[in-house]
Amino acid sequence: MSTLYRRRFVQSLLGTVALGPAATLTLAAATPTSPRRLVLVLLRGGLDGLGAVPAVGDPSFAEARGALGRYASPVLPLTGPFALHPSLGELHAMFGRGEAAVVHATGLPYRERSHFDAQQVLESGGSQPHQLMTGWLARALSASGQRGLAIQTAVPLVLRGPGQIDTWAPSVLPEPSMDLVARLERLYGADPALAQALARARGLRQDAEMGAMASAGMPVPAGGRNAVAGLARKAGEFIAKPGGPQVAVLEMNGWDTHANQAAPQGALANNLRTLDASLAALREVLAAPEADGAWARTVVVVVTEFGREVAINGTLGTDHGTGGAAFVLGGAVRGGHVVADWPGLARAERFEGRDLRITTDLRALLRHVLHDHLQLASTTLDRDIFPGSAGLKSLDLIHS
Amino acid sequence: MARSPAATDPAATRAAIAAHRFGFGEASLAVVGTDAQGWLLAQIGPADAQRGDRLPTLAEGVYSHAQFQLNQRRRAARPTAGPLAGSSDMRSGEQQFADHFRDHVQADLRAHLATVATSTRPFAERLALFWANHFTVSMAKANTRALVGAFEREAVRPHIAGRFETLLRAAVTHGAMLRYLDNDQSAGPNSRVVMQRARRAQADGDGRPRITGLNENLAREVLELHTLGAASKAYTQADVTAFAAVLTGWRLPPRVAATGQPPGDDPLALFDPGWHEPGPKTLLGKRYPEGPQALDAVLHDLVRHPATARFVAGKLARHLVADEPPPALVDRLAAAFQRSEGDLPTVYRELVAAPEAWASAPVKLKTPAEFVVSTARLLGLGEQPFVRVPDGSVGTMGQRIQAAPSPAGWPDRAQDWLGPDAVWKRIEWATRVADRLGRQIDARALARASLGPLLSETTAIQIDRAADGPQALALLLMAPEFQRR
Repeated sequence: MSTLYRRRFVQSLLGTVALGPAATLTLAAATPTSPRRLVLVLLRGGLDGLGAVPAVGDPSFAEARGALGRYASPVLPLTGPFALHPSLGELHAMFGRGEAAVVHATGLPYRERSHFDAQQVLESGGSQPHQLMTGWLARALSASGQRGLAIQTAVPLVLRGPGQIDTWAPSVLPEPSMDLVARLERLYGADPALAQALARARGLRQDAEMGAMASAGMPVPAGGRNAVAGLARKAGEFIAKPGGPQVAVLEMNGWDTHANQAAPQGALANNLRTLDASLAALREVLAAPEADGAWARTVVVVVTEFGREVAINGTLGTDHGTGGAAFVLGGAVRGGHVVADWPGLARAERFEGRDLRITTDLRALLRHVLHDHLQLASTTLDRDIFPGSAGLKSLDLIHS
Repeated sequence: MARSPAATDPAATRAAIAAHRFGFGEASLAVVGTDAQGWLLAQIGPADAQRGDRLPTLAEGVYSHAQFQLNQRRRAARPTAGPLAGSSDMRSGEQQFADHFRDHVQADLRAHLATVATSTRPFAERLALFWANHFTVSMAKANTRALVGAFEREAVRPHIAGRFETLLRAAVTHGAMLRYLDNDQSAGPNSRVVMQRARRAQADGDGRPRITGLNENLAREVLELHTLGAASKAYTQADVTAFAAVLTGWRLPPRVAATGQPPGDDPLALFDPGWHEPGPKTLLGKRYPEGPQALDAVLHDLVRHPATARFVAGKLARHLVADEPPPALVDRLAAAFQRSEGDLPTVYRELVAAPEAWASAPVKLKTPAEFVVSTARLLGLGEQPFVRVPDGSVGTMGQRIQAAPSPAGWPDRAQDWLGPDAVWKRIEWATRVADRLGRQIDARALARASLGPLLSETTAIQIDRAADGPQALALLLMAPEFQRR
């Protein structure tokens, strides 16, 4: 352990003593905390599902995709006609171990092509934009009395709503001195709202630092290429703690690949490598001995607001589409297969002649995870979490 | 909260409230003088021109979008192999997009913040920001990148002290709003353009045409967020659809994108009859004729609807008085709005006269943007904080200026800004500012000069006892009296 970390550790311990129990995460929730964990990864911008999970065995694939269907290194075979992008090696290994599954030809009830509206639907759980103004995960956490954590400074819509949501993000600025923080606590004696926010922030900072030491003192990079993997590691550290938040939400931007999509160092390949490294980091933290079997109690869901058009566009990329792919992984997942009622890629099979047709409503997957993993009642899901989703087909991706 | 003896001076208390709650704080309350209400009333009027050189107009922003698309097509047309290969540009699409608009966006952010930080009419600036947020246009949506500043300057700032109807019309028909809420894409299902495209698509055998009919986005948001309010239940889905049909045809002419020339002063410059749905429409029980004049008539009637008066009054009171404003105050503001048929100065005067607005305990939590500009004003920094960092680091505290997450704009309740990480980031930012400036500044004297009787004894003692100058300043910036207003 480096001197730097030892010093911080001592400070953290002293801080906890001085601050008392109110500031620690573990005592905040009134409902007994559930050991089950969920990590939601939002890919903003519209992941190209056919780029990440090419249906290489579909007779129309090569013609439909053109240059996008030719990969610099071999694709990684899954089951049936499907394979994974060569940048997803870690995910492929998890698939092979039965810890990961793919849901393909999936999407939201929203059929237009606006990022903005599609993300509103993805996060609110409504069937059209702005029908619901709070997040489905916030409503779910409120129903079950559990807590959530957003790995960013502002609360994303999916977690906005009735419950208590914490936020955490790494800083590019130097940490304020503990002395200043102690003085601010005295200053906030007559302002409970500010006092509570400060106490929670301080508790989260301490947890983050102690978690960093558990993983051999690796600090979170505040920017750059591996930042997202570092954040995923942090998310894992938070939820692995006994009494930690049940749900963590991570975001990754940059999936709007209108141009140069197939380039081996282009945006899609780079983003997929980052995603792959992030999922591997999550697994590593949660499966570590000190995490007390957290991986076996965890489901990770990776979703995006929409897929992209099947055909290549005029700038060697793809334009906004509808159907796409989602990933489900974790020790609690019954994986090793691709869930798809495959519509085919021939032009006549496509939605509006352009997109992979949606045959599995994405809400069916989200419902399934909330019902069979986080144990929310069907009536609650029908009424409060995903109104209008009662008739959706059931999936079988969670170990009972 | 314990108060210093000066709290017994009501004029000084009112000056401090005027400066901090209605404005963005002052380094010295001497600026306000002894007549706090008079100081505020004298500021009512159109907002001043924003600070900055060559700030982009709507037409320039739209032209820049057209240029970007042209560049993208040229890039794609380059050969992909051989000596002239076009693949040397490895930036992602988003990166290219961000780079293309960076200068415009940074100029807009800087103007937005530096103007507030240096204004001698801070109440007018607060009203301008309030209305810009009420009529949110956000560059979180890519097609309005670099158009938000122009929207504030052209549609909002000139109209904050006239009739609400004028402001509403300017906002709804501004090109940035028409784009942001998709009215550019909305065509009457029986309009000329839809008929033509359907015939062409049939002839080409090329699937469905991309433009087939109404987009209800703008219609819904005008009713829900700008006038009646969703909670009023004053309208139905049929009203939204009818209003969307009224709005068809209001779109940016393609020649603006092609030439960068402004659409012109003609109020009908933005109306394209080829996209307009023929026939009369019935909205809220009233029939409106076909044509561009129907929009004015609908907006005229919406402004006179009691739900609009209530909705606008409630939002103003929430912004200036309390997260949950006293119902009696909202009633009086709504009555003033209705009586004057939406004359905004009448409503502002009612607000300034309201005893509820002068309660001495500061309750409204500052947004990150308010925190940064009020710090700049407190420390007399002018526009300096925004020269190198155009958003003044507001984004790191969880508020991306001019990029609100939805058309509803930034939330106006403390709970939405009190996420633990957001508060921690404020402390980090305050620490950095204080480390740089705390040695040259006497935070104790500054606290008294700026906050006057609002400075609590607890805070005064903590600042007095600080270990050094930087810590004293950090405590002042993070004190409840300065975090709130």
